[in-house]
Amino acid sequence: MRDYYELTAAQKMHHQWIVDYKTQQVSGVSVIASLKTELDFGLLKKCIQLEFERYGCMRIRITKPDENGEVKQYIVDRDSRDIPLKDLSGMSMQEADDLMQQWAYETFDGDDIPLCDVSMMKLPDGYNGFFIHMDHRLIDSCGLIVMINDLMQLYTHYRFGSKYPEDLTDFETVLANDLKKANSEKRFAKDKKFWDDQLDALGEPLYSDISGPSVLEEARKRHKNKKLRAADIEMKQLFVAVKDYILEPDATKNLIDFCINHQLSMTNLLLLGIRTYLSKVNNGQEDITIENFISRRSTHSEWTSGGSRTIMFPCRTVITSDTDFLSAAYEIQNMQNRIYMHSNYDPALIMAEMKKRYNTPDYTTYESCYLTYQPMTVKMDNPHVANIPQHSKWFANGAATKKMYLTVSHTAEGGMNFSYHYQTAHLEEHDMELLYYYMMRILFKGIAEPDMTIGEIMDNV
Amino acid sequence: MTKEMQFKEIVAQYCDIAPEKMTNDMRFREDLGFSSLDFMAFLGELEDTFDLELEEQEILKVVTIEEALALLDTLDEND
Repeated sequence: MRDYYELTAAQKMHHQWIVDYKTQQVSGVSVIASLKTELDFGLLKKCIQLEFERYGCMRIRITKPDENGEVKQYIVDRDSRDIPLKDLSGMSMQEADDLMQQWAYETFDGDDIPLCDVSMMKLPDGYNGFFIHMDHRLIDSCGLIVMINDLMQLYTHYRFGSKYPEDLTDFETVLANDLKKANSEKRFAKDKKFWDDQLDALGEPLYSDISGPSVLEEARKRHKNKKLRAADIEMKQLFVAVKDYILEPDATKNLIDFCINHQLSMTNLLLLGIRTYLSKVNNGQEDITIENFISRRSTHSEWTSGGSRTIMFPCRTVITSDTDFLSAAYEIQNMQNRIYMHSNYDPALIMAEMKKRYNTPDYTTYESCYLTYQPMTVKMDNPHVANIPQHSKWFANGAATKKMYLTVSHTAEGGMNFSYHYQTAHLEEHDMELLYYYMMRILFKGIAEPDMTIGEIMDNV
Repeated sequence: MTKEMQFKEIVAQYCDIAPEKMTNDMRFREDLGFSSLDFMAFLGELEDTFDLELEEQEILKVVTIEEALALLDTLDEND
């Protein structure tokens, strides 16, 4: 007898985007992991098939919506598919990356179907590995990194006799536990109170756009409401472009040292950089909200069970221009810590509450910026491959539900990669250049002179 | 199981240290490797397990296992 489960809040978030934007493309996640070495593809195939057995989230299926549009998930016992080998070794690496980028745009269309594809890859320049394309309702990027490492541990066990990897935690057990927690009335009431209290204290949030106040003004005209505080979400032209900027290792170290010395997390420093920029380009607006993604993985079971645990919450702070940089950072940290404590809550309920209170028009938002800080690298963590060059890369799904989505990760060289995904319907590369340039100016001014006020920093940079 | 051991069993879910190897002077962040998210999720777990209401301002001052246990004892006494 098969068990059916409702989706978790994180899964619902992706599912709702698919429904709202009418394409599964918005929920795609793709990555290539490869090594510059010969691989035994027969053995690799066996390991990938074994991974399907070990990592239950790869076997999730989602049912057809019922008459109310509700779907359920279930986990099939077996998925003994063949694993294709694709040979791109005759191309340049750029051409191979371009082709894999096209694969990342492909959709999983249908109900009760596999939502995960894995191919073995022969790449140019002697690189070999595997390409994974999945639906975000099954997995997030941390889960994918765990999977890649587990797969390589299986491979090196069979190939070189290294230790067999420890069992992964059963996905279904963790899922059932998560749903039980989320449905706890007491926990739900505490979480709801936290989010409601914030609205009681601060009132309706106010939109702030990367390009300045004109976007909100246009929305006010469109909706014939001079007091509107939310702006429209682009629902049709979802094409996304990506612009990456690398912060050098020395500069990165300065940011990390500042965080360590002041017991700040990097996420909060980055949030401060973004919010100060938004404030600067929106005439000093003090009430700023940024959506921040949290990967809810803390316990050993949560880390090793796979699944989609990344969820976004609005980080709203009202910071006056006479607040010094360090105090502003602590204000954000304080808010984020409280959000972490209430991150069992379904963020869709926060939006529903705001819509109920403020009667905001459909498909409007208070946020233009979304942040993910990703401290884990996709680099394979395995002593047998430590000295072998790797080519690993995430591919954007090409359809953005968000106006600007910044992913900050660490590079193998000790720097940081700022990857800006932006909707081309309203933004250009130049907007990202400005955002990155000012973010860095703000952050480095702030860490050099943490007593300087936010207002002074905005004037100085 | 004592309350202290029950507490340490929960801590062990968040780090690589077995409960019997934990000492009460261990700091959550520096010694046990808790991130902010880990710590706050852990507090939520404590609230559910021990049926407590933790005051956010109080718990943010907690650094070590000993301080957390003392806070739990205080809350018990107040019940």
